[in-house]
Amino acid sequence: MLEAIDLTKRYEDGMIGLDSLTLKVEPGEIFCMFGANGAGKTTTINLFLDFIPPTSGTALIEGIDVHKDPLKAKRHVSFVSENVMLYGNFTAVQNLDYFSRLAGKRSLTKADYGEVLTRVGLQKEAFDRRVKNFSKGMRQKLGIAIALVKDAANILLDEPTSGLDPQSGREFLETLVQMRDRGKSVFMSTHDIFRAKLIADRVGFMRKGRLVMMKTAKELEGADLTDLYIQYMEEEPPVA
Amino acid sequence: MLRDIIRKEILDNITSPKFVFTFLLCTILILVSVYTGVTNYGAERKEYTAALALNKKNLESQPNYNSLAGIGVKVNKPPQVLGTVVNGIEEAVGRVAPVNIAADPNLIDSKYSSNPVFAVFGPLDLMFIVKIVLSLFAILFTYDAIVGEKERGTLKLALSNDVPRDRLILGKAIGGYISLLIPLLIPLLLSLLILLIAPNIHLAGQDWLRLLLIFLMFFLYLSVFFSLGLFVSARTSRSSTSFLVLLFAWVVIVMVIPKLAVIVASQARPIPSVHEVTAKKDAFLQQIQQEGQKTAREWIQQQQTEAAKDPKGFQDRLRKYIEDLQQDLTSQIDANNAAIERDYQLKKGAQQTLAVNLSRVSPASALTFGSMTLARTGVDEFDRFLASVRSYKPVYTKWINSKFGESINFQTGEMATISIDDMPQHVLEPERLSRSLLRTLPDFGLMAVMILVFFVGAYASFLRYDVR
Ligand SMILES: Nc1ncnc2c1ncn2[C@@H]1O[C@H](COP(=O)(O)OP(=O)(O)O)[C@@H](O)[C@H]1O
Ligand SMILES: [Mg+2]
Repeated sequence: MLEAIDLTKRYEDGMIGLDSLTLKVEPGEIFCMFGANGAGKTTTINLFLDFIPPTSGTALIEGIDVHKDPLKAKRHVSFVSENVMLYGNFTAVQNLDYFSRLAGKRSLTKADYGEVLTRVGLQKEAFDRRVKNFSKGMRQKLGIAIALVKDAANILLDEPTSGLDPQSGREFLETLVQMRDRGKSVFMSTHDIFRAKLIADRVGFMRKGRLVMMKTAKELEGADLTDLYIQYMEEEPPVA
Repeated sequence: MLRDIIRKEILDNITSPKFVFTFLLCTILILVSVYTGVTNYGAERKEYTAALALNKKNLESQPNYNSLAGIGVKVNKPPQVLGTVVNGIEEAVGRVAPVNIAADPNLIDSKYSSNPVFAVFGPLDLMFIVKIVLSLFAILFTYDAIVGEKERGTLKLALSNDVPRDRLILGKAIGGYISLLIPLLIPLLLSLLILLIAPNIHLAGQDWLRLLLIFLMFFLYLSVFFSLGLFVSARTSRSSTSFLVLLFAWVVIVMVIPKLAVIVASQARPIPSVHEVTAKKDAFLQQIQQEGQKTAREWIQQQQTEAAKDPKGFQDRLRKYIEDLQQDLTSQIDANNAAIERDYQLKKGAQQTLAVNLSRVSPASALTFGSMTLARTGVDEFDRFLASVRSYKPVYTKWINSKFGESINFQTGEMATISIDDMPQHVLEPERLSRSLLRTLPDFGLMAVMILVFFVGAYASFLRYDVR
């Protein structure tokens, strides 16, 4: 379970990155955080990984305060970053092997890696090719495979679909659904509301560091997404 | 986990194109340099033995002590076997010191004076390669150690696991260092093998120890740049910035500080020029010779009546008188020259010491001076040799003067044939290892401190490094 309590980040230059976020992502739930560039999505994820210290409030993973005991908390989280280049001199399998070892998975075989890489939709020919020649989408898939191998109870994804072609995007969403069905808490940031709607259990809308609206999948069903998009991406937020 | 990080770091490095490039260049440069060092040493050794034999033959072929005194003796500086790896100032200083009654001995006939174009390029010895080329490689291997992982996003990904930061930087440092050592160790071991099997290289037990210490110093020097690279890469947020900063630091450390130190020292402690010193010595020499001739003439005039009475007794007394006078004049000249020389050496020494100590804040200078001291090819060794020749001069003059006096038969004007069997020989006591080591302690110490400071700096910076 992922939980934020009154989580706030004010950067050194006074810029507000995240403003009093309170949120819970339950096991078996996909939460999609929706927002324009600069809304505060990455800031939220960075706070959950203790890459930056919070100004106030708490981020909890499986009930462990991330800032107080980061190493213990990080055992329970997988992370797919926005734009990871990985080790260009390594093959896909070598990259996967290194990060699985860091994640504490040391008994995996080449067959296991092959299985995961197939699952995320990487072509077999690419397994033993150097990552430096990979396209953005191929690297993204490898990044997802790295998160899958760790098999943690919580998954944080920062705009994971941005580099994927439609086919891969669909496959990827399927993988996320599988993970949810196995009881993981999934937090995904995106500005692709049309895709997010297909799988999200809940959607949050964020602007200028504030979570301004939250809708369940049910509530979204009848809603006009284009309307929402315009309302929350381009207008000033309604005055509270 | 540490092992995984180290393994990954090594693998990442040795699969990169820069590794292949470094490995090839290191191998070629190191082997070429040691090979030329060995052949040069062989040639110089040959030249040295030939010169010794020639000198001896030359001396023996003199008809009498008069002409023997005229040509003087030549003291040759033996080439240092460790000059094969640290050439030092071997090529720049003279190889021969002529010793005769009149002039003050000095080393002449350096390799550079006979072939000045070499001076422009300097020797391509192992020390030069380590100082210039390998230090750049150390930077090349570390400038993006931390900041590069940040840019590739792998730092975030690694730290999204329960990986302690200190473990990560330790693993990267160890792995990175090993991957820098691989392209170095193989050619270095090969060059040791060359030294071992080359027919004209004979390393005594102490030389091996010295060689080992020189290699240790090389590794310390490279570690300074390695840890500096790690430090800068943990303090910058872009690898291009890191590279520029390191390049700038390299230029300052390797190029600027040593030259600046010499300039500052020559301003702060000026010394008289060599011409002034020689002119002073010559003036005194002329004065003494004139005075000597005058006294001798006066003495002979005084003795004229006596000489007529007892020519045989006069002959003996004249011989004795000339011998004493000659001895007296020579020792006066020697004393004066020694005084001037002492003064000059003192000033020069002070300037040199200042320059050396100022420049020693740069590890490049510490490497230069330290390795030269260990190889016995440095300024001190040259000074020691010159001093030994200068203290040999009075011994030699005394001998030749006494021979000269004994050999003249003033009645017949005949001179006895010479024998150089009892001629005193110049000896140079080589500097003891413990003494060399003592003098290089500051250099070792300085490098060790720098490594420690940079590494602790890198470590502390990385614990607070912004991974985003
Ligand atoms: N290191 C930083 N220093 C100052 N402001 C920052 C920093 N990082 C992000 N911000 C600001 O915080 C806000 C949220 O950024 P971010 O979380 O990256 O947005 P998103 O991921 O939703 O595009 C933006 O206004 C951004 O300019
Ligand atoms: Mg973002």
